[in-house]
Amino acid sequence: MEASVWITGLRLKFPGSSGLWFDRLSLAVRPGEKVLLLGPSGCGKSTLLQVLAGLIPSVIEIPMKSEDAGRPDSWGYLFQDPDAQFCMPYVDEELAFVLENLCVARGEMDERIDQLLERVGLGKDLRHAPIASLSGGMKQRLAMASLLALEPDVWFLDEPSSLLDPEGTREIWDTVKRITSDKTVLIVEHKIDEIVDFVDRVVLFDASGCIIADGEPDRVFREHRRDLQSFGIWYPGVWEDYADGSLRAEGGELLYRLPATAGLPPERTGEPLVSLKAFTGYHGKEKKLEASHASIWPGEWIAVVGENGAGKSTLLSSLMQLIPTKGEYWLEGKQVQGLDDVVRKAAYVFQNPELQFIGSSVFEEVAYNFRRDGEPEEAVLARTAELLDSFGLAAQRGQHPYQLSLGQKRRLSVAAATVKAQRLLLLDEPTFGQDAANTFALLEKLEAWRQHDKMTIVMVTHDEDIVRRFATRVWEVKNGLLTADAEGWALSSGLLQDHEDALHAAEGAGRHAG
Amino acid sequence: MQQKELAAMLDKLTGRTTWLHRVNPSFKLLLSIAAFLVVLFTHNINILIHVTWMYTVLLFTSSGQPTRRLLLILLPFILLFVSSGASMVLFGTGETTWFRYGPVHITEESFFRGMHLGLKTVDTALVGLLLALTTNPVLLFYSLMQQLKLPAKYAYSFMAAIRLIGLSAAEYRTLRAAYLVRGVKTPRGLRGFAQSVQRYAIPLLAQSIRRAQRIAVAMEAKRFAASAARTYYYRVGWSASDALLAAVLLGIWACAWWFAAQLPHFSITDVR
Amino acid sequence: MSKGLKLTDILVTIVIAVVFGIIYRVWGDVYNVFKVPGIPLEQLIYGMWYMAATVAFLIIRKPGVALLAEVAAALFEMLLGSHYSVASLTYGIVQGLCAELTFAAFRYRNHSLVVAGLAGIASGLGALVMDIFGNYLMEYSPWLVVQYVLYRFVGAFLICGTLAYGLVKALEKTGVTQLVRPVSQDDLDALGK
Ligand SMILES: Nc1ncnc2c1ncn2[C@@H]1O[C@H](COP(=O)(O)OP(=O)(O)OP(=O)(O)O)[C@@H](O)[C@H]1O
Ligand SMILES: Nc1ncnc2c1ncn2[C@@H]1O[C@H](COP(=O)(O)OP(=O)(O)OP(=O)(O)O)[C@@H](O)[C@H]1O
Ligand SMILES: [Mg+2]
Ligand SMILES: [Mg+2]
Repeated sequence: MEASVWITGLRLKFPGSSGLWFDRLSLAVRPGEKVLLLGPSGCGKSTLLQVLAGLIPSVIEIPMKSEDAGRPDSWGYLFQDPDAQFCMPYVDEELAFVLENLCVARGEMDERIDQLLERVGLGKDLRHAPIASLSGGMKQRLAMASLLALEPDVWFLDEPSSLLDPEGTREIWDTVKRITSDKTVLIVEHKIDEIVDFVDRVVLFDASGCIIADGEPDRVFREHRRDLQSFGIWYPGVWEDYADGSLRAEGGELLYRLPATAGLPPERTGEPLVSLKAFTGYHGKEKKLEASHASIWPGEWIAVVGENGAGKSTLLSSLMQLIPTKGEYWLEGKQVQGLDDVVRKAAYVFQNPELQFIGSSVFEEVAYNFRRDGEPEEAVLARTAELLDSFGLAAQRGQHPYQLSLGQKRRLSVAAATVKAQRLLLLDEPTFGQDAANTFALLEKLEAWRQHDKMTIVMVTHDEDIVRRFATRVWEVKNGLLTADAEGWALSSGLLQDHEDALHAAEGAGRHAG
Repeated sequence: MQQKELAAMLDKLTGRTTWLHRVNPSFKLLLSIAAFLVVLFTHNINILIHVTWMYTVLLFTSSGQPTRRLLLILLPFILLFVSSGASMVLFGTGETTWFRYGPVHITEESFFRGMHLGLKTVDTALVGLLLALTTNPVLLFYSLMQQLKLPAKYAYSFMAAIRLIGLSAAEYRTLRAAYLVRGVKTPRGLRGFAQSVQRYAIPLLAQSIRRAQRIAVAMEAKRFAASAARTYYYRVGWSASDALLAAVLLGIWACAWWFAAQLPHFSITDVR
Repeated sequence: MSKGLKLTDILVTIVIAVVFGIIYRVWGDVYNVFKVPGIPLEQLIYGMWYMAATVAFLIIRKPGVALLAEVAAALFEMLLGSHYSVASLTYGIVQGLCAELTFAAFRYRNHSLVVAGLAGIASGLGALVMDIFGNYLMEYSPWLVVQYVLYRFVGAFLICGTLAYGLVKALEKTGVTQLVRPVSQDDLDALGK
């Protein structure tokens, strides 16, 4: 067989850990094939992709063996973590670096850079922007631009659209489809709706990294529905199955169930938990967020939506007082002056999970808050174990947080921040890079907290299904402005797209409150 | 892009940009090394006295830094001069004794040797300061790569490292925010200090190492190693300033030599 | 396996070196404050200037790393406007070479505190030779020279051995060292044939 990338008899061992991964896995990809690798979070997809590209073991020294392997000559790799793939401090330098490596003449570089930026939807004014000042989604777009500059024969894409807004996701995949028609493409992705038609082949992994199915997408999704459900992997139509309660394990017991209360707004009694008036947030000297008037009532679940770079993360870090703000900000009837007024009432999950870690192991990370609150050691042990279990991290308890897969990191950061039920929970894309099982589990947990502990949730997300089914209200951020404010159902009925109606809905909500 | 604009753009120092900034960084480095060697093998204190004041003039006129800041920077130089010379003055060996008390033994030879040592240190430091104040490190490594054929592996590593350290300040802030968000409290006093060093230094160093490793992986993924030849987005070239600096340094040493021969302040011309 | 240093090794080494370059630069001022004529106690902390070599080697454990780290740290110290200027670079080269040779003498297989300390002492020795040529060291009274050498070696052992070893142990807990060390034979054996 003529293959462009292949490996046989692969097994691998992380230094310092005891288990082996991949138990003699073999995989071959033919030239021009488009392959989707699907599996639960932490099953080794990213690791496998790096092995196939030859990054492991030649650049990343991880002990591994295989009988035979074929690595492509011309390849490009998009890393899962948007913060882990840039080598230069500025946008133009980053792209120029690729062009330098390809020996493109200096005279052609400027034009090429402009073209590349345009193709991934980054404006010309960002040309010499510091990469550190880009939003998560903008970084992912830039990563794609470097890949386009490389024009490789074999593309390795590790969740290239996990942080992109819906429009951006479509555009990026359209571009990839157009450019790679005669190229080999290997994709790891959880958001698969855009690509099921594009790939010729789906490879399905179980939690330990063994291949359980390999074939045409239709056939795999049809014949292995049970596996997909019990491993909690995304497949087309999973949300519908979730909503009507047909996600069942092998034995037939119900795995996940959309809570009946999901999406129901709370009664608005008494004072709002948060109210903002002429509230602005700054990055350096630049105003990047403005909310002229907004309130949050106890027990609400507010979904924050908007394009990449609109200012959603900025909104959350303003609310958490991590960046300078101006204007009025009331929390539980007290005017907020700084971080100290917020830390005891609100919990925050950063968009980049790594920014959050302070412990030296997964266990320590979660146990920290219990210990801080002076709980006895047995209780700490028991409660930490329980929490880790419910976030699917029990097996990783001894690992350092940095040694987790990205999805696991994400879950750990949410687990650590939510150890104690706070009044206000600020979550920045807590479900990106998650498999279906963990997404549903997390959402159900949040919903339970909302119901029982009257926790109030503000959550940034690009997932329209989550907005539609769980949020009780939607905030849209547009060009740094908190513009629309609508009931959760509004998005599904297309109200948000229509600015007028959305504003109208916000007014209605305000009247309702008064 | 012109080297001049480039220097201005990349330059974070708040001082003025002067002709010294425009000197090719590799050339400046080589000249500094040469200047150091000349100092090292000069044993005549009369020459160094003249070199010292001329270097100081050069620093004040051409480094582009405000006078007040320069004075502040130069303050420790007095300590430097004293501390590098004092031991030799007080405890050095020599024939012509001036003063003796217990272990202290000042001789004519040791006195001049001590002064000479102090001047040597100060002169070397002045050249280093000029170099540091007028050279952008990132440009230096571009230039080393382009003019002195330093392998790209090393040059890019240096540039990446310098930038990574720049990021550490931002990282420190994030880490602090994370601690605050999680409600970590630091005790006061020495214990608190020790704890915060541990809490910040180790994670920041670990994070830098990890980031370095990832940047290397990203560079490889962008086919850095695969290319033996490469083109450059930034080019560092030559200018008239290069000749000017060479002339100025030559002038300073020639003058110092001449002054020392014409009007020696001290009779000792070799301190060894 | 080790055919020269790879990009990853170089980059990580230089990042460590740049951190130490900053420390070296600050150390210049600390050192001057400690200087009291006649009591060369400042020599006890002189060893800080050899630390990049041992720390980098203890972390990465590959040939060439110690030399590269020390030279890079010294170069960076110079670029930061150190008083020692070009001298710091020349000293760095000599100190790095001495540390490197020490690790090589143990065939790069010994990563213990004692060897790290010995590497520190070797660097101190190298610097001493430089001092004899550049700073007229032998022109001091003999009793001073003896103290000078003694303090320098004790300090070098404590800083490059004990301190560096402790620092690397703390880093090991974060798991980053695994990212940059060569694959161990035990791990490869565990994978079977
Ligand atoms: N250095 C390490 N030491 C020990 N275990 C590790 C290390 N690095 C990764 N792992 C484990 O290896 C497994 C595979 O990780 P990988 O990143 O390949 O997962 P993934 O399938 O890409 O998951 P995700 O969908 O969450 O990104 C994870 O369970 C992770 O905990
Ligand atoms: N540290 C920073 N310094 C300067 N500007 C920043 C910084 N962080 C973000 N910005 C800018 O602020 C704007 C809003 O960024 P923000 O991260 O809030 O976007 P976002 O809506 O969260 O996008 P995404 O969906 O991609 O995460 C962007 O224009 C971004 O470039
Ligand atoms: Mg992954
Ligand atoms: Mg964001």
